[in-house]
Amino acid sequence: MSKDNNPEFLLNLLERMIEIREFEEGVRFLFLEGAMPGTIHQCQGQEATAVGVCSALGKEDYITSTFRGHGHALAKGLSMQEMLDELFGATTGCCKGKGGSMHIGNIDKGMVPGVAIVGGGIPLAAGMALSLKLNKNPGVIACFFGDGAVAEGAFHEAVNMASLWNLPVIFVCENNLYGASTRIDLVMKNTTISERAASYGFGGETVDGNNVLAVHEATKQALTRCRSGQGPYLLELLTYRRVGHSRRDPGHYQPKSERQDWFSRDPINYFASRLIADGLIDAQGVKELKDTVIARFEAAVKQAKRAPMPTLADLETDVFAAKEPA
Amino acid sequence: MEVMIKMPDLSTTDGSDILIVKWVAGVGDLVERGQVLLEVETDKAVQEVECIFKGTLTAQLAPAGAAVPVGAVIASIEVER
Repeated sequence: MSKDNNPEFLLNLLERMIEIREFEEGVRFLFLEGAMPGTIHQCQGQEATAVGVCSALGKEDYITSTFRGHGHALAKGLSMQEMLDELFGATTGCCKGKGGSMHIGNIDKGMVPGVAIVGGGIPLAAGMALSLKLNKNPGVIACFFGDGAVAEGAFHEAVNMASLWNLPVIFVCENNLYGASTRIDLVMKNTTISERAASYGFGGETVDGNNVLAVHEATKQALTRCRSGQGPYLLELLTYRRVGHSRRDPGHYQPKSERQDWFSRDPINYFASRLIADGLIDAQGVKELKDTVIARFEAAVKQAKRAPMPTLADLETDVFAAKEPA
Repeated sequence: MEVMIKMPDLSTTDGSDILIVKWVAGVGDLVERGQVLLEVETDKAVQEVECIFKGTLTAQLAPAGAAVPVGAVIASIEVER
């Protein structure tokens, strides 16, 4: 039995997606309660992109992320605890409380802290890939960004260079139709983003980003290309965010009919139905999975609320790199 | 147990008070987590404020037309536990 038909693997994909959804929903309410500082950019509805990509990656592979990075982090193996601690600004957070929501990451787990500048992670990913290539490291970089980032000059410069030098990067565009509140067809005439790859001499394809297995499969194929030295690949994953751009955005620019249409293709419901039809789990099992995840989240929140806060003495630590690289 | 609902931090640029446009849930209504309680207007948009507890709305503590600061108590909920 191949890994992709393995019940444990399939159920794990479902659990990871439920974990992301419930984490985001839980954080949403912490924010509404006033318990969580700052703003947050959430990814409800986009769980299959993060989980589909990261489930195909190996330990030697890295991801770069954006301001909307909670899902990427959970999918890459960060724990809810280190993320909640970070969101509360505690020293036990994955970035010692110095990053916050928009800079979630843990390099030991293969995730560069999120780059919140739109498109900013794309040249960074190309640079990391160059480093891997020069060091003959087998790793690949999966670089997440949104449709809005494609209009940035940094995107074009980085993909051009990555293609020219055959760098091992999978450029993962999560196309959720809106750059903040602006619909994609107001800012680009050719809205098929994967076609950008051809103009720079490399391959790309558009995939149903709400189908976790389709994303996983496409990522696996892109990885094979990257690892064999064939250069980058552009994966455009069509998906939809169920919430506003940030917690202060009610998202009224998303037409009701469009929302309903996408909600009917929700990635978690879609995949859960498939696993139920295949007899791998039943509706009760899905509910239990959700309840277990919620209980884990609530326990992590309790601990995060008691986690130690930074002091003045922490202000100047981790600001400069050590003189000699370790 | 009675819990208080506070105005969430929805304001955008200048930290100004948030205007209560209208109450959607009435006193005595059963409310769910995530259900819309009221509509408010910030300096950027009209938006909805969701309930964060499941229970019964026991009081609206700021009327439609009032502008209140972030964190001000705007409602009380009798929570079922």
